[in-house]
Amino acid sequence: MNSITDLLEYAAANFGQRTAFSDKDGEITFACLKNKSQTIAAALLNKTQTGRTKPIMVYMEKSIKSIVSFMGIAYASSPYVPVDYLIPINRLEKTAENLKPAAIITDIGGAENLKNLNIDTEIIIYDEIINTNYDTAPIEKSVSHICDLDPAYIMYTSGSTGAPKGVTITHRGVIDYINWIIDTFPVDSGSIIGMQSAFHFDNSVFDMFVPMLTGAKTVIIPEILFMYPEKLMEFLKQSEISVIFWVPTVMISAADSGILKLPHMKLILFAGEVMPNKQLNVWRKSLPDCTYVNMYGPTEATDIATYYIVDREYENHETLPIGKPCANMRALILNEKNEECKIGEQGELCLSGSAIALGYWNAPELTEKVFVQNPLNKKYDETIYRTGDLVYLNDEGNIIFLGRRDSQIKLRGNRIELGDIESAASAIDGIRNSCAMFDEKNQEIILLLETSEEIKERKFKLLLKQYIPSYMTPSKIMAMKEFPHTASGKIDRVYLRKEFLS
Amino acid sequence: MSIREALNEFIRDKFEIGDDPDFTNDVHMFNEGFVDSFGAVEIIHFVEETYNIKITQRDITLYPMNTVNEIAAVVEKKI
Repeated sequence: MNSITDLLEYAAANFGQRTAFSDKDGEITFACLKNKSQTIAAALLNKTQTGRTKPIMVYMEKSIKSIVSFMGIAYASSPYVPVDYLIPINRLEKTAENLKPAAIITDIGGAENLKNLNIDTEIIIYDEIINTNYDTAPIEKSVSHICDLDPAYIMYTSGSTGAPKGVTITHRGVIDYINWIIDTFPVDSGSIIGMQSAFHFDNSVFDMFVPMLTGAKTVIIPEILFMYPEKLMEFLKQSEISVIFWVPTVMISAADSGILKLPHMKLILFAGEVMPNKQLNVWRKSLPDCTYVNMYGPTEATDIATYYIVDREYENHETLPIGKPCANMRALILNEKNEECKIGEQGELCLSGSAIALGYWNAPELTEKVFVQNPLNKKYDETIYRTGDLVYLNDEGNIIFLGRRDSQIKLRGNRIELGDIESAASAIDGIRNSCAMFDEKNQEIILLLETSEEIKERKFKLLLKQYIPSYMTPSKIMAMKEFPHTASGKIDRVYLRKEFLS
Repeated sequence: MSIREALNEFIRDKFEIGDDPDFTNDVHMFNEGFVDSFGAVEIIHFVEETYNIKITQRDITLYPMNTVNEIAAVVEKKI
């Protein structure tokens, strides 16, 4: 297999008439998905430029249509780029400036939002091309041009200077990752996967491609249900979900609501942030026959880099390991001298292997900072990705996550650079300076503003939402006339932390 | 008290909105920042208990419930 289109070809040949995906509007079989994707591809090949350097953005509600679009783009040999449907238009513009998409595929509602987008690209409306009949013959040629190290998708994550970074992942990364999943976990044609992730987060890679190699079905869970844990559990039960890959936040709120009756559930994978043992134990007691897996991985490593199958009860004070690397991944822990850490010694987790991203799209300087030559390999080219995560190896050979080297945080499974919030705040009229802090105990972001103006919290949050997505919005906003400074003239963040984080 | 009045009063009280004139029965309470996403559960609990009804996962998926009027419309269908 060379490309993600081969995954769909395999599915159409082996499980063609089985249901591949369902959403609130209906279902689609693998054969039909292939067909529709090819319709999209044929239209794209006719209407726009495609190829490995011509990414195509998809701005659409979370639905089967999105998957058809992604696969259509792949058949047209371009990388697909999912963006948040709720993204502020300012941020979408910044993303598009960096990406320079050949086209944007959207739905009718999305096209309305894009009307005022100041970017030179073609807007293609899904509903207008899905019933077209362009010649599909050029698809074969298009696919034959794809090499496994070409970009399959680009996903944007928070950047510390306020400009989102486009993580560029190869076809090889996806294929190897999905093969590792099906070799390691009990997923088969009888499995029903519940899809929590939005498409612009890479957990969606699991939900989208695992069915193609197994014949399983993925049920796209309506996003609104994540606001209502009890109703979400009701949905999972009624949909007979047996496999789910989600973020701990959802598991925590479900455990706290006390209703975990899911008779079909067999495999629960979680990643994105630290899963507290207290709630994990509630799950393990309520559904003792389930397999629980703590997964770890940055977007830069095709979703997942290490994993740990929970094999015993963890006390509240213990740390759940992030475990060992996946089959297509090597993990190195380097200390400050760039030497490999001994057991128990703290260092930075570095990853190498086929799943490592090509880098950040159109950002060579950012890329060179963290995608570097393995300092332990003096002879051959070997790129490692420096994750910025601090870890150590325990006596059992499992990796234990400790925290970050920088000001990146994880909140409800979302990766956020505090600097991203600060640059949004500082862009607002009347704000001289800003300092975003993370209150770990209460799991909330606090934003301090240096301003002479009176700040109304709710109104200021609305202003911020024009620049940053909702999940980055601080819980508390406070204003000061003047920030304290250190001797060297920088904002005294240590003092501010002490003063405002209880 | 009508369902709308009761809901309006409960939400103003619970989420410390007070007499802010911007909070009307047609305002999108989540987008406009009056209620955060965690508050949604409390509003549903309130109507389920007050009116002795059950809001199902289907109701949540099928009907928008972002304004006082929208929630009241769902409740009215159930009682």
